[in-house]
Amino acid sequence: MKVLVPVKRVVDANVKVRVKSDGTGMDLANVKMAVNPFCEIGIEEAVRLKEADIATEVIAVSVGASQCKEQLRTCLALGADRAILVETDEELEPLAIAKVLEAIYEQERPEIVIFGKQSIDSDNGQTGQMFAALTGIAQGTFASELRITDGKAEVVREIDGGLQTVLLSLPVAISTDLRLNTPRYASLPNIMKAKKKPMDVTSPGDLGVDVGARTTVLNVAPPPERAAGIKVESVDELVDKLRHEAKVIE
Amino acid sequence: MENIEALNEIFSRGRVKTDQADLIHWGTDWTRSFEVAPQAVVFPERIDELVALVKLAREYSLKLVPSGGRTGLSGGAVASNDEVIVSFDRMNQIHAFNPTDRIVGCQAGVITQRLQEYAFERGLFYPVDFASSGSSQIGGNIATNAGGIKVIRYGLTRDWVAGLTVVTGTGDIIRCNRGLVKNATGYDLRHLFIGSEGTLGFIVEAEIRLAPGPKPQRVMVLGVNELDDILNLLQCFQQHVVLTAFEFFSELALQKVTKRGDIPRPFSEPCAFYALVEFDADADEEAAIAFEEALGRGWVTTGVISQSDAQAAALWSLRENISESIAADTPYKNDLSVRISEVPGFLSDVDGIVNKHYPDLDVCWYGHIGDGNLHLNILKPESLTIDEFFERCHRIDPELFSLIEQRGGSISAEHGVGLLKRDFLPFSRSDAEIGLMRELKEVFDPSGIMNPGKLFSE
Repeated sequence: MKVLVPVKRVVDANVKVRVKSDGTGMDLANVKMAVNPFCEIGIEEAVRLKEADIATEVIAVSVGASQCKEQLRTCLALGADRAILVETDEELEPLAIAKVLEAIYEQERPEIVIFGKQSIDSDNGQTGQMFAALTGIAQGTFASELRITDGKAEVVREIDGGLQTVLLSLPVAISTDLRLNTPRYASLPNIMKAKKKPMDVTSPGDLGVDVGARTTVLNVAPPPERAAGIKVESVDELVDKLRHEAKVIE
Repeated sequence: MENIEALNEIFSRGRVKTDQADLIHWGTDWTRSFEVAPQAVVFPERIDELVALVKLAREYSLKLVPSGGRTGLSGGAVASNDEVIVSFDRMNQIHAFNPTDRIVGCQAGVITQRLQEYAFERGLFYPVDFASSGSSQIGGNIATNAGGIKVIRYGLTRDWVAGLTVVTGTGDIIRCNRGLVKNATGYDLRHLFIGSEGTLGFIVEAEIRLAPGPKPQRVMVLGVNELDDILNLLQCFQQHVVLTAFEFFSELALQKVTKRGDIPRPFSEPCAFYALVEFDADADEEAAIAFEEALGRGWVTTGVISQSDAQAAALWSLRENISESIAADTPYKNDLSVRISEVPGFLSDVDGIVNKHYPDLDVCWYGHIGDGNLHLNILKPESLTIDEFFERCHRIDPELFSLIEQRGGSISAEHGVGLLKRDFLPFSRSDAEIGLMRELKEVFDPSGIMNPGKLFSE
C-alpha cells in the first residue's frame, strides 16, 4: 500500500516574520524555513503506517522552488522512501497545488494521501479538500486518529464541539490535526542513509497542469499594533473608561 | 526601629518592607542551605536614593545586600545577618539605544530575557544566555560575570559590558568606560566591578554591547558511551564547524528531565552521556561530515538534528531543564572548571573521587564542557536529612578542591563564590591575590557595608 504525503516548505513556526515595507508580501530574506508542522505530522503518520507493516512505500511530494529539496530530504530522513519535487518558481494557489497533486496521484496511485490540514504561512486549509473533490476519492479531514483495517480507513475527526468518527473506503485523502501524533526527530544515521534515497524532479508543465493564478494579492499589512495598557487610580475611573472609552458595558 | 524610620525617609510609598514573608522572599537565592535573617528590604528607583542609602548605612553601620533576580547558586544574594536587602526590581528601565554604537543603556534590574528580546526586536543579539535568563537581572549577571550556554562562541557577560555606572561603598557615583571601544587611560575599574559580587558597590546602570543578529541555528543531540569520547567529539566538531554551544549531560540528568513527561527523549536508545551541539544552520554539511567521522571512530553511537526552531528548543530543554528537574532532590552543587586541555584527566579524577566516596549516591553530571566547565551534582537520597547529606558532601570538598588546585582550575566557574565557596577560595587564589582583593575592597568600601561576608569573611 502506497502512501503519498504532500509537504510544504514554510517559514519556521518560531520565526517572527516582518511584512515588507512596500506591502507586497513577507520579508523572507535570511529567514529559517522548515517543513510545515501539519505536513510533518503527515510524514510521521505515514512512517508509522509503514512501521506497522500497513504501508509498503511512503512518498513525499512538494510543489515549489528548488529549495524545497531541503524539506524533502528531511522527509526522507524521517522515513519516507522517495521524494518528488514538482519544481516551479511561481507562488501557486491551493487549487493549482491540488491539480498538480491530482496529476501525481494519477501517476502513483497511492491508497492513502495524507495532507497537513493547513499550512502555517497562508492558512488556506483547502488543498486536501480540493484534491479529494478533483480525484473523487473519500476525505477524512482534521484527523486526530487514523486506523487502517480491511481496506477501510477509520478516522476520528476534530470538529466543532467534539469528535466525529467516520469509516471511509480506500483510497482516501486524510488531513492531519495537531493531536494525530508527535513527530520524531530526524536521526543523523538516517540522514546519512537518506542521501541515497531517490528524489525525482518534474514540473507542472511536464505534468500538463495549468497552474495559472486566479487571484491577485493587492496588499499585505501587519495587524494594527495594540495600544499600551494604562493604570487607573480608582474603580470609578475603571468603570467610567469601560463605559465611555472601551464601550464594553452599558 | 530607628533604622527603619531612616529608611522610610529615603524610600517613600511602601518601598521599605519588613514583613517576615517579604524578608524571606527577597533575602534568599536558589541556595536553600543558609539561614535567612535580614531586617528590611528596600526598593530604590533612582540613583540618588542609592547614594543616600549608602551614606545612611555608613552612619548607622547597616550592612547592605544587593539583590537582583536571586537565581544565584552560591548564596551571593543571601541576607543572613540582619542586613538591609537592596532590591533592583524597580530599576528595570531600558533607557537608551544607539544603533550606530550597537549599545543599549539599561538599569541593573532589567531581566536578562527582556534585554535579549529588546535586541532581537532591533535585529541584534544579546548572546549571554542561560536557563535562568527569564528571572535573572542584568546587574546580577554583571556582578557574577555570568556565563551560560553560548560562552564557547560569544564569551562571558564581561565581554559585552561597554560601560558601568556604580555607586561605591563610599557613596560616590562612578561612570566606568562610558561605552567606549578604545580607552587606554589607566586602570579599567569597570572590570573590577564585573564579578565583584556586590562587595565593592552597587552596579546601577550598564551599557551593554549587542552582537549582529545570529543566523538560524541547528541543534544536534548525540549519544556518547564514554566520558573521554565527549572531548574527542568536541575536537572533531571544532575541526569542521564554528560551534555556538557544546554541552553535555548524563543519562541520569536526561531521565530527570524526561520524567515529567512533557519533553520526549531525543532517541530511544539509552546512552551513558549525551552531547548537545549547536551551530549555524548553513554549516549543516560540515556538521554532517563531523558526525560521520565521529560515528566512524566510535565516539558517538547515534544522534538527532533539529528540523525546526521548535525542535531546537525542545532539544535545548533537555539540557536547560536539568537544574530545575533535580531541584527536588536537594542537589549538592559543584561548578568546577579547568583548562579545556585538562578536562579529560580531570573528568577521570573526579569520577574516581565520586566512585570512592559516593558509591551509594546518585551523581548527575552536566555542563558546558566546551568551556572546561563541569556541573557536578550529588543528589540527596530520601534516607538522609538535608543536614546529614550536606555534612557528608562537604567532607570530601577538600579532596575535590585540592584536585582542582593541582590542575590549576577554579572552584567556581560561573556561579560565583558568595557564601557557599567562600572558605575554599584559597584553592583557586593565592594568599597574595586574596590579600590584594581585600585591600581593594577596603578602598571601595572602607566601612565594610557592601555585601559583607561574601567572597571572603569579614
